[in-house]
This record gives sequence, structure tokens and C-alpha cells, in this order.
Amino acid sequence: MDFVRTLMIAASGLKAQNGRMRVIAENIANKDSTGRTPEEDPYRRKIPTFRSKFDRELDAQVVQLGRIERDSSAFQVRHDPGHPAADAAGNVRTPNVNTLVETVDIREARRSYEANLNVIQSTRTMLQRTIDILRG
Amino acid sequence: MAITDLPVFQALRTKMQWHQARQKVLAENVANADTPGFHSRDLREVSFTNTLKGSRAQYVRQAVTNEGHMQARSQDGPNRPQKVGSFEITPEGNSVVLEEQMMKVTANQMDYQAATSIYARGLGVIKTALGKR
Repeated sequence: MDFVRTLMIAASGLKAQNGRMRVIAENIANKDSTGRTPEEDPYRRKIPTFRSKFDRELDAQVVQLGRIERDSSAFQVRHDPGHPAADAAGNVRTPNVNTLVETVDIREARRSYEANLNVIQSTRTMLQRTIDILRG
Repeated sequence: MAITDLPVFQALRTKMQWHQARQKVLAENVANADTPGFHSRDLREVSFTNTLKGSRAQYVRQAVTNEGHMQARSQDGPNRPQKVGSFEITPEGNSVVLEEQMMKVTANQMDYQAATSIYARGLGVIKTALGKR
């Protein structure tokens, strides 16, 4: 039944976007996670990636959350001499997480999630119409 | 001949199958909206030319009781098996635009609903003819 397959494809989209939101939430939660010592690196921002995979059973391109990459950009530096992770000059390295970027990213994830939900809703309506033929 | 072999129902069934296949392709597009390098696809529109030709063919064969009778030939009309799921998928060549896909999904749903309504109405007509109402 093609409609059921359609639902499964949309579900793969929901799942992937859900995983993306999870990674973004992780980034935001760790926005202030510095190291304990000056040598230790603070939290490095994670980047979710998507990849398209051919599903033989569904005979369709479904989406999957690919490897979670690390953002290699420079850490931010804050002057805070009292901090345990401060170096000799009194600077603390803080994670390379920008809340603004993450917020925009989460908006985009939500938009894609809703689009997939729309497809499910529409497919359900179509399926319902098919069953309605039986009722006459 | 089954009721569903009538040309009207046959055409509607093809249309419904086409919308079903299209819904699947659109779902793929939306699911892969954020996949790098993915190009959105769509189905080529189905042509009903052959279906309409079939409906003009004669289905009923005349009985031959005398050598001199001419026989009306029956074309391979109503009982011809229909290929399912062989609609052509064409690449659109651009990356996925969610709004556009949403419009297509909605249009697809509405067209499908129209087809099912006509199908149900057609069945109603036959029921009336049968005197079941």
C-alpha cells in the first residue's frame, strides 16, 4: 500500500528532525560548559548532518541523521581571573556555541518537522477518503 | 465483467493510483528537504488518451447463428490489465522548496478527494440502477 509507505517516509523525516533538535538542545544546554582546568577544552559545538538513504523495503529515499560532526571553529574567550579554568592572563575559553545560531537552527528544524507532519495529515485524509468509498 | 472494469472506474482508479504514487514522491521530497545534494522530484502527468480510446471500443460480441452474419470484433478494451506503479518520475532540477511541496501535497490531496468523490458517485449511480435505493 503506497499510502502506508508514504507515512513511513514522512516518519523518517520526523525522526531525523527530532534527532537534529536533540543535538541543538545539547548545544544550548552546554553553552556555558567550560573545562575544569586551563588545559581542558570547553564543550565543542556539535553539528547534525543529514543523509539520504535508499530503503529497499519502502522503495524510496528516506532520510537519516548522519554522523554528528564537531564544529572546529575557535572557542570564545572571556576574561574571568577568578574562574578555575582561567589561564595565567585570566582568560577563560568558553564553548563555541552561539545561542542566536542555535535558535535559528531550531526554528528551521521545527519548520521541517511541521512540513513532514503536514504530509502525514494529508496522507491520512486521502486514506480516509479511500475507506469512505466502502461506506458508500 | 466486474463493475470496476467500467471505463469510468478504470480511469478513476488510474488517477487515484497516480495521486498515491505522487504523494509518496512528495513525501520523499519533504523528508529529504535538509539533505545536502538532494534534488526534488515529481511525477509526470498521466495521459488518459489510451483509456479514452478503450472506452469507445465495442465490448459486446454478437452471436453468429448464420454463416452470412458479420461479426463485430471486440477490441482488447475492458479486460486489459493495467500496469500499476509505472508512473514516470522526473527530476525537477532544483533543491527542495518546502512551501512549493506543501502546495503540491495539498493540490494532490484535493484532486484525490475529487476522484474518490466521483468514484463513490459512480457507484451510487450503479446502485440506483440496481434498485437498491
